[in-house]
Amino acid sequence: MRYPLPLMLGGLLVSLFVFIAMLSFFWTPYNPKKISVPDRLLPPGSEGYIFGTDKLGRDVVTQLMLGARNSLYVSVLSTTVAITIGALFGLFVAGSGPRWQGTLTRVADVGLALPGILVALVLATKLGPGNMSAILAIIIWFIPVAARVTIGPAKQILALDYVEAAFAYGRSKRFVLMNHVLRNIAPLLIVLASVMFAAAILIEASLAFLGVGVQPPTPSWGRFLNEAQPLLEAAPYLMYFPGVAIVLTALGFNLLGDGLRTILDPQQARTGIL
Amino acid sequence: MLEVRDLSVTIGRHEIVRIDALDIPAGGRLGLVGESGSGKTMTAMSIVGLLPFGARVTGSIMFEGRELLGRSDVEMSRVRGADIGVVFQDPSRALNPMMRIGKQVSEAVRLHMKLSRAETRERVIGLLHQVQLPQPEELLRRYPHQLSGGQQQRVLIAIAIACDPKLLIADEPTTALDVTVQEEILRLLVHLSEERSMGLLFVSHDLGVVRFVCDHVAVVYGGNLVEVGPTDDVVERSQHRYTSALLAANPGIPASDEIEQYVGRRLTVIRGSVPALGDFPAGCRFRNRCDAATDSCGESPPTTTLDGEHRYRCWNPVGRSVDVGTR
Amino acid sequence: MSALVEVRGMHFRYGKVRDHSTPWTLTDLSLDIRADSTLGIVGESGSGKSTLIRVLSGLLHHQQGSVMFDGRDLNDWLAKSPKDLRRRNQIVFQSPRRSLDPRMNIGRSLSQPVRALEQRKPTKAEMTEWLARVGLGNEILPRFPHQLSGGQLQRVGIARALSVGPDVLYADEPVSALDVSVQAQVLNLLMDVRAQLGLTLVMVSHDLGVVSRLCEEVIVLKNGVVVEAGRTADVLANPHDPYTVSLVAAARTVSLT
Repeated sequence: MRYPLPLMLGGLLVSLFVFIAMLSFFWTPYNPKKISVPDRLLPPGSEGYIFGTDKLGRDVVTQLMLGARNSLYVSVLSTTVAITIGALFGLFVAGSGPRWQGTLTRVADVGLALPGILVALVLATKLGPGNMSAILAIIIWFIPVAARVTIGPAKQILALDYVEAAFAYGRSKRFVLMNHVLRNIAPLLIVLASVMFAAAILIEASLAFLGVGVQPPTPSWGRFLNEAQPLLEAAPYLMYFPGVAIVLTALGFNLLGDGLRTILDPQQARTGIL
Repeated sequence: MLEVRDLSVTIGRHEIVRIDALDIPAGGRLGLVGESGSGKTMTAMSIVGLLPFGARVTGSIMFEGRELLGRSDVEMSRVRGADIGVVFQDPSRALNPMMRIGKQVSEAVRLHMKLSRAETRERVIGLLHQVQLPQPEELLRRYPHQLSGGQQQRVLIAIAIACDPKLLIADEPTTALDVTVQEEILRLLVHLSEERSMGLLFVSHDLGVVRFVCDHVAVVYGGNLVEVGPTDDVVERSQHRYTSALLAANPGIPASDEIEQYVGRRLTVIRGSVPALGDFPAGCRFRNRCDAATDSCGESPPTTTLDGEHRYRCWNPVGRSVDVGTR
Repeated sequence: MSALVEVRGMHFRYGKVRDHSTPWTLTDLSLDIRADSTLGIVGESGSGKSTLIRVLSGLLHHQQGSVMFDGRDLNDWLAKSPKDLRRRNQIVFQSPRRSLDPRMNIGRSLSQPVRALEQRKPTKAEMTEWLARVGLGNEILPRFPHQLSGGQLQRVGIARALSVGPDVLYADEPVSALDVSVQAQVLNLLMDVRAQLGLTLVMVSHDLGVVSRLCEEVIVLKNGVVVEAGRTADVLANPHDPYTVSLVAAARTVSLT
């Protein structure tokens, strides 16, 4: 089978990102905590620092690798939790009787209407800025999305003959939802997850940039951008590298999602779902 | 009027249709009978240039002395509607649910004819009348969902005959309908064909339905024409093993004096199932399911002509005795 | 001897329990199904014929009247021993492709009723036997539905229904989605297993030819009401209700025999 180009390109970018984040646990070019004032603001290509150094003389490559770690941590955790809760809620809504279904669907719709950034800012003022606020905000932001994406297809699958057959041979609604329905919307959730990863990385960077995300000394791409801002004239490269890293990673996950959609969709069409 | 010669439709690596000759005289009614994967719909749609993207068609399709193959999409869209009308299987999907019936029919009229508003309305009402829909004026303002399946199919037929086509292609027009409604639609099609001496290409999986409607029938299997001829001739003296097996496998309604013995009597079966596209055997395409197959069936069977019009392509036709018992 | 299924004055409607604006789908229906008999249910689309077998098999709940299965009220069965009711009433569906989960292999799909109703995993030998009964080999167990033909899938559907040893087999248009050349195989199979296992067969079909082959008795439904009932031979030869008359006539015009 030939895989579509977006899938290969996205897969490559994503694996590179994950590899770099993992590698940072074992090896970085310099000790992340090492501050070397004499070496501050070296431009890219300098002796020993290919991407240069920041205002404290820290190696940019090292900082980027550590930033990838935080991006991965936040996006994986928040997306996994949000999709799990959202999909379970969506399944519950799809499986509930006509009396509750309308109400619960509206609840998900109200959740969709919440402005995510505002939720994050409110959380940051309540819990204090930090990774936890960012993660919670993303989770609250994504749960209604996952629920809403699940409800429609789940309802369609519940109307199919094999579901009726399952009831006819004595399966409970819970079994049908957790096996037949979940199994058949799994591809959809996988595609959703990859798109959400991309969004979560962008949100994490935005929140860190705004100062309500992860706090020093944990490195984050968003905060690099923030810290690079005053030095825009003196060291523009400090902005380029985290910016490019964010764009490439988000692009990678989006391409992956796109590619997965094309290879998973033909089968969807054949089985009459979606 | 319609002459198809050496028609071949290929999609990807698979040749889906390979038909040497198929004719419909003016006002003639030809039934194209086959199961799923037989290529019957592809054959019909290649005539009006409505094939899926990527299909390659070769051969010749002459319609009233004009070659239809190789024409541009724009030219074909002029042929469709004006010269050849098409009726599809599922009327509920073929009508636009958001558009009133009157508008949908008048669009078909306006597309090919230059008429004033009043004349168009007049013609639309006349068309709805011809397809025997009651109170046409009333119907103009209705939406498709307010009509029954049979009424929707009548509207589609009205659209198809809006510009007095010489040929009407109907692709399984009654499969989605109830038996009693089916009979009315079939009678309507025969009536319209006779009244307007309009040719009819009737695509169906049901030989019984085709026998009711058509004077001639072409049986296709695996994209090949296996038997063609006058309908009664083919049904009563079927030569190709596939045709006869299909007839024998049909449950049918028993005659009054046979009813008592009918219940619980086993049907004659055709073994196996219709192969997937690339899996048909070479030579006679039916030979892996045929009880009379011999070694020669590995070769492409010759066309045999019986009484001029009745043609079939079979090495061991029903008329010839083959020792089936030992197999 | 009392009938296996007894329906008296049954009413059914879709929608909420106390919603009286929805018209009845089935109105004041009464009928008996004897054990080891064959009943055909014919009627046009929307006549309620598919709904009827779903009520009789306990998938839908009627609002008025009574449905008795084996001398016990259906609601009682469903409240106290739903699994026994399911085991004794099985359904074969119209579209074999849609009645099997596309993401489950055949073995897994086939084992579902026994897993659900007997809380055990059937052995491969058992599944091989079930498949053999419908003329299939066990090499298809690891395959997925899209790798099989419609006829094979419908056989799997029948094997699955028979795996729990039902008393009544409900078949909802079991051959209408199949190729003409495959229909006869499946109809013969239904006849064979019915005779072998002494099943009661209740079959919904729009095709009078199919019903006249398989069913000794027939009821004709129109708009949720039984307009005619009797031996299939009598109804075909001598229909009384105007609708039945037109139905038989229409079927005869397109019949090949």
